Amino acid sequence: MKYFSLIPVIAIGGLLLWAGQDFPKWGDVESPASKSPVSSHFIANTGVDTEVPNMVTAVLADYRGFDTMFETVVVFIAGMAVIAILRGSSVGRPRRKDHEVEAEPDLIVTNTVRLIVPVLQIFAFYVLAHGHVSPGGGFQGGVVMGASFILIALSWDLEKAMSRFPIERCLFVAAMGIVLYGGIGLLSMMLGGEFLDYAELEKILPVSREMARYHAMLGVEIGVGFTVASIMFVLYANLASEGRLKQGL
Amino acid sequence: MENAIAWIFIFPLFGSVFVALSRYVNIKLAYPISVLSMAGAFWAGVETLCQAMASPNHEISYLLGGWTLDLFPRGVGIEFRADLLASLIALIVLGVGLIVTVYSKIHVEKETPNKEAIYYSLMLLQITGLAGICLTGDAFNLYVLIEVAALTGYGLIAIGSNRAAAATFNYLILGTIGASLYLLGVGYLYIKTGTLNMVGIREVIEANGLADSATMQVAFVLIGVGILIKMAFFPFHAWLPNAYCNAPTTTSCLLAPLVTKVMIYVMIRMVLTVFGVEFSFESTIWVSWMPWLVVIAIICAAFLALSQREIKRMLAYLIVAEVGYMVGGVWIYNYYGLIGSIFHIISDACMTLCLFLGAGIILHKCKTTHFDGIRGLFSKMPLTMIGFFVGGFSIIGLPPTCGFFSKWYLITGGMVSGRWEYLVVLMFSTMVMVILFFRLIERIHLAVDESGKNLGKGHGDLGLSREQTRFDEAPLIMLIPLLVAAATVIVIGIYNQEVVNQIETFLQAYDLPTGVEYK
Repeated sequence: MKYFSLIPVIAIGGLLLWAGQDFPKWGDVESPASKSPVSSHFIANTGVDTEVPNMVTAVLADYRGFDTMFETVVVFIAGMAVIAILRGSSVGRPRRKDHEVEAEPDLIVTNTVRLIVPVLQIFAFYVLAHGHVSPGGGFQGGVVMGASFILIALSWDLEKAMSRFPIERCLFVAAMGIVLYGGIGLLSMMLGGEFLDYAELEKILPVSREMARYHAMLGVEIGVGFTVASIMFVLYANLASEGRLKQGL
Repeated sequence: MENAIAWIFIFPLFGSVFVALSRYVNIKLAYPISVLSMAGAFWAGVETLCQAMASPNHEISYLLGGWTLDLFPRGVGIEFRADLLASLIALIVLGVGLIVTVYSKIHVEKETPNKEAIYYSLMLLQITGLAGICLTGDAFNLYVLIEVAALTGYGLIAIGSNRAAAATFNYLILGTIGASLYLLGVGYLYIKTGTLNMVGIREVIEANGLADSATMQVAFVLIGVGILIKMAFFPFHAWLPNAYCNAPTTTSCLLAPLVTKVMIYVMIRMVLTVFGVEFSFESTIWVSWMPWLVVIAIICAAFLALSQREIKRMLAYLIVAEVGYMVGGVWIYNYYGLIGSIFHIISDACMTLCLFLGAGIILHKCKTTHFDGIRGLFSKMPLTMIGFFVGGFSIIGLPPTCGFFSKWYLITGGMVSGRWEYLVVLMFSTMVMVILFFRLIERIHLAVDESGKNLGKGHGDLGLSREQTRFDEAPLIMLIPLLVAAATVIVIGIYNQEVVNQIETFLQAYDLPTGVEYK
């Protein structure tokens, strides 16, 4: 049976190799993707259109901001789906698992984490807020923030982390992230533009059209950060404790 | 309304977030918020269709983020394009969504207690994703929305029981493979064209003569196979029956009419708008062998449906057979075949909705959908059974239901393009559908049991006690959506010319053969 699965693997592999014969050369400036007016537009006009030095952020949060909004929604869905599936699924199962041991939190570990966590969280805000000028943004900042809570849960236990960031509040914050992102889009639509046309925000912000885009991008990145950070922790807390939200790993 | 097309996704998106937040206020708010936001989205869908019909070139282009299109190839920002096809299918998605949301109240409270807020929230996001798939004009945005629809689908199915979770795992693996193949195909398209806008890709293919490029051929295969997996075309159908049968009732009512149909819409969109008629039908060899695969698919699915002893499972295999019809309608490469295919998306969504809503009510009242538990149901729930069988007759293709007219165009297409194998298999499958539904009618009306023994005394006596045949209709909140769906099936059937006119206006832009082609 194992060898039967080789057949589709070889077929698809052959197909992909055959497709490669027609690829443009590696790093070819004449390749359609680099010559195309679309990518040239991004390279030439990002600064003019949005005042954002980091081209990647501009493409992510403005030119293709609609994709990013739904990527954030996908993260939100993942969190809700995990809660939906796991909550109540472990009723009637043994409450203790083999990997759950009664142990006091380790002194060295907890004291190290006590030092690291504040730095991590400040760094998360830095990554979030500096997405425009340096590599970073909402997804990265959110992950660092979520990881700081997971670190607390790993070195003490889940209750300790949940006393800082209860699961109910996680879901609220995650939903608020979507409301913030969608709300900025909706607001720019209400002000007379298209959905997510941040430039229209100049009517309520004391800045130019380009800077309105710049600031709105920060706003949506914060929304993304909210959602990602809280859903990261929701996923960990539910998966580690099979939805019981007690003890965990 | 200028931004009607944007309200289509704004209503359910914000609705789902507010539903998720309603657990902090009052869980009872979840249902009314969902119904209201779906009603709003439906209104926006109607408005969009009207605007598309009224505009001079029969399409609306909505530029998200306000980025202009006057480049060649276009595609700096993301575009929503509502041509007649997109807005018709989106309207069907929203209509089905509205009906199922209204219907869902009792089932959701019973089957997923304490999880109503999450359930409705996922449901609204599912509809957002599906409606977005119909309207988007960007190949990568389509992938993102497919992910939204797929992930919510996994959640909505697995929320039910542990068996549902096991079925979801299969669905998850196959669905992810399908989506990954699609994404890889889009990557290849970008390598060769440098844009992600659907119309932009076709413009580059035509301008640069990319029809013979190996990369484009492979991209076509990857995208095609990915979508075929997603739509549960026969050899890839294994995920569908288990997932839909073990899912909570409302989930199967929502997913069964929509997910496979929307994926067929995606295939039509890829064939016509992204790759173009010339590339898809002339430069690839799919036209020569796809109809034969369709023949195998329909025959196998029909036999699998025949061998089921449970209504929901039988309906799941019926969907697989119907997918074969619509895929065949596209690949017989004919104007009438495509009209039939598109019309069948619309009518199949409506009639599958009828059948699943009916099956849901039967499950609610009888606690089973097995064939043995349905005797005497007509005296017990006459209105429900009328609604259910309107859907059934439409699947068979009896006039004046819409299933007759869409099958008519499919058959015309098969004849005109000389694809007799497709024609024969359509006829064969129609006969199987007749057996399936008349077998059900027989079970419900006659007093004969499995072995042929007569249980009653004749003259309409079914051999059941008075309690089993007393009038006991389903609650109105479930009955009215079913009757609305059944009425829609008949109304679309009666006004079929109006629908076909819109589809014809859409297809006029594409160069499709209308006559017999002798080879």
